[in-house]
Amino acid sequence: MMISLQPLTNPKPSTLNPHNPFYFPSHRPKTLKTPLLKPFFPIQSVLQYNRKPQLAGETPRVVVITSGKGGVGKTTTTANVGLSLARLGFSVVAIDADVGLRNLDLLLGLENRVNYTVVEVLNGDCRLDQALVRDKRWSNFELLCISKPRSKLPLGFGGKALIWVVEALKDRQEGPPDFILIDCPAGIDAGFITAITPANEAVLVTTPDITSLRDADRVTGLLECDGIRDIKMIVNRVRTDMIKGEDMMSVLDVQEMLGLALLGVIPEDSEVIRSTNRGYPLVLNKPPTLAGLAFEQAAWRLVEQDSMQAVMVEEEPKKRGWFSFFGG
Amino acid sequence: MASLWTLQLHAASLPRCYSSTHLEFRAEVGGFCSGFRKWNRNKFVDGKFVLRALSDPWNVDEEHKRIDDQNEVIIKANVARGVKSQNPLIKLQHTVASLPPVIFLKKKHFSISFAAGLCAVAMLLIVVLRSYLARKSRNSRPGSVADLVRRGQLRSDRRGISTPLKYEDPFNNPMVKVGKSNSTVEMCGKLYRLAPVTLTKEQQAIHQKRRSHAYQWKRPKVFLKEGDSVPSDVDPDTVRWIPANHPFATTASDIDEDLAQHNVYQKHGVPFRIQAEHEALQRKLESLQNEQKLGKLVIDHGAAKDFERPFKSHLKSEDQVEQSSSNSQMSPKHTNSDSAQNSYLNRPASDEMQKP
Repeated sequence: MMISLQPLTNPKPSTLNPHNPFYFPSHRPKTLKTPLLKPFFPIQSVLQYNRKPQLAGETPRVVVITSGKGGVGKTTTTANVGLSLARLGFSVVAIDADVGLRNLDLLLGLENRVNYTVVEVLNGDCRLDQALVRDKRWSNFELLCISKPRSKLPLGFGGKALIWVVEALKDRQEGPPDFILIDCPAGIDAGFITAITPANEAVLVTTPDITSLRDADRVTGLLECDGIRDIKMIVNRVRTDMIKGEDMMSVLDVQEMLGLALLGVIPEDSEVIRSTNRGYPLVLNKPPTLAGLAFEQAAWRLVEQDSMQAVMVEEEPKKRGWFSFFGG
Repeated sequence: MASLWTLQLHAASLPRCYSSTHLEFRAEVGGFCSGFRKWNRNKFVDGKFVLRALSDPWNVDEEHKRIDDQNEVIIKANVARGVKSQNPLIKLQHTVASLPPVIFLKKKHFSISFAAGLCAVAMLLIVVLRSYLARKSRNSRPGSVADLVRRGQLRSDRRGISTPLKYEDPFNNPMVKVGKSNSTVEMCGKLYRLAPVTLTKEQQAIHQKRRSHAYQWKRPKVFLKEGDSVPSDVDPDTVRWIPANHPFATTASDIDEDLAQHNVYQKHGVPFRIQAEHEALQRKLESLQNEQKLGKLVIDHGAAKDFERPFKSHLKSEDQVEQSSSNSQMSPKHTNSDSAQNSYLNRPASDEMQKP
């Protein structure tokens, strides 16, 4: 649908509104109908079919999604951002570099379709395109696993092997993918070093608690030492009610501590667990959920190499109507 | 045919005061031909009431009727076929006629409402049964989605969510609405206040500088297992030591199944790998100890204490605590407060000693 509507696409990239410091309006698409209908009053909510995020930077963009601490949502972020990018029309290859404890295939519901992995490719048992698992829901999304669980991993698999894989993806016949997302393992061991080797940019996933922040700061330091300068963070599992009660660090506090640009803020959502269990990423849910929307927005910003200019801080009570007394 | 009998019997039970239209109606209900209806009306005009037991309604014209003045029902049925079935019919009609009229009237009233109710209930039952059967047949339709789900070919929980979403822009869609003043955003029906991000480029640079000071790190170039010797042309900072119990090391393919089967080094039930690990660790420990001894020989103690002051004092106080605990174990007269006091008293002395 999106491709068929491409001729309507606004070729100009979005520009920031000088009167508005916030992020959301900066991405208000310029619809063709809006100026015709109400030239002086911008419509706040219209169905958009005629705009696609403008891909910034050189393709393929090799993005590593890392955190340091385990369990903060690296794999969930990889799955959801990856499928959001695929929905936006970009070709994506997600590499599960979490070799020992891979889970990305489960989150995507592709666990039964992983027949070959990179280890078999390196051993010469199969071709690279055979190891790529194409998602049937969004055919421009592909998954690549490094090895099968419980298989012996040769020590030789390291950064160089992953660089070879990325180069092979660039050189394949269909053309290079737009995005190569690397799901990094937790910790800063050999797996981490392997995962960050081919990356040009990094997405740091953290939760607003001190343990995660300390690890995130350390990992950011290691990434910067390794020459990855483009680091953005996603603050995951944010609860606005707890922030309001000052039981949780706010996103702005986290940003103050880490000093990183914000790619997204993902609110805590019970749907995340359900979608994980189902093997159906959150961003494909209908109706969309709060966390799913936040992931989509993060993916949009990733495409445009943009960052958040405003964050949601607290929940405001909705204005009650005239008939609220009667339950209206 | 049965309905016809019933109708006929009912008509017989009607008292005289019934109008002809009623009878006509009943005849219509019976669904008879118009000739029969006419015949019925004609008979009633004469003030006679006839009950006819007919086995075949289409032979009406061929039949002959007799009506007596005493309101007695005379039944004469001339049925061409089924002569045997006449007798029980006549018997039945006799019994019906012999019933007392009051009771019969009451019964009639009851039966009308009862029949209406019965019809309603039956209709309801039929509707429910039909819908149930329809649902059942829909579920059991081979090749349907439900069938696929039952057979495990399709995951039921993915149904209904496989269609793509109707919007493409996550910032401007029915679920996300930015307020007019740009200070609020409504997402999924909840209204949130927006706060601007205040991080500046200078702050980012300061943080980068802080991290570059805090985390001195070089990308490891060489990964070595424990026991391997460091090559001479490699910077020791870029060597990454993989511990022996690391999954990467333990899944290394140097121990294959064949070796595991014919492991001559396995003695007294200790697996070779564990023994090797133990020996490697032992070697490492020894080498570390040797290094420390060498270091102690080289490094001046006075200079070292400057750097290790908090560490040392901490150690000493721990020693003190251990001593005091052992003392308290040996002599129960020593209380905890004494030991605390001891440590408190000893601490300034040690600090003084460590001061140059």
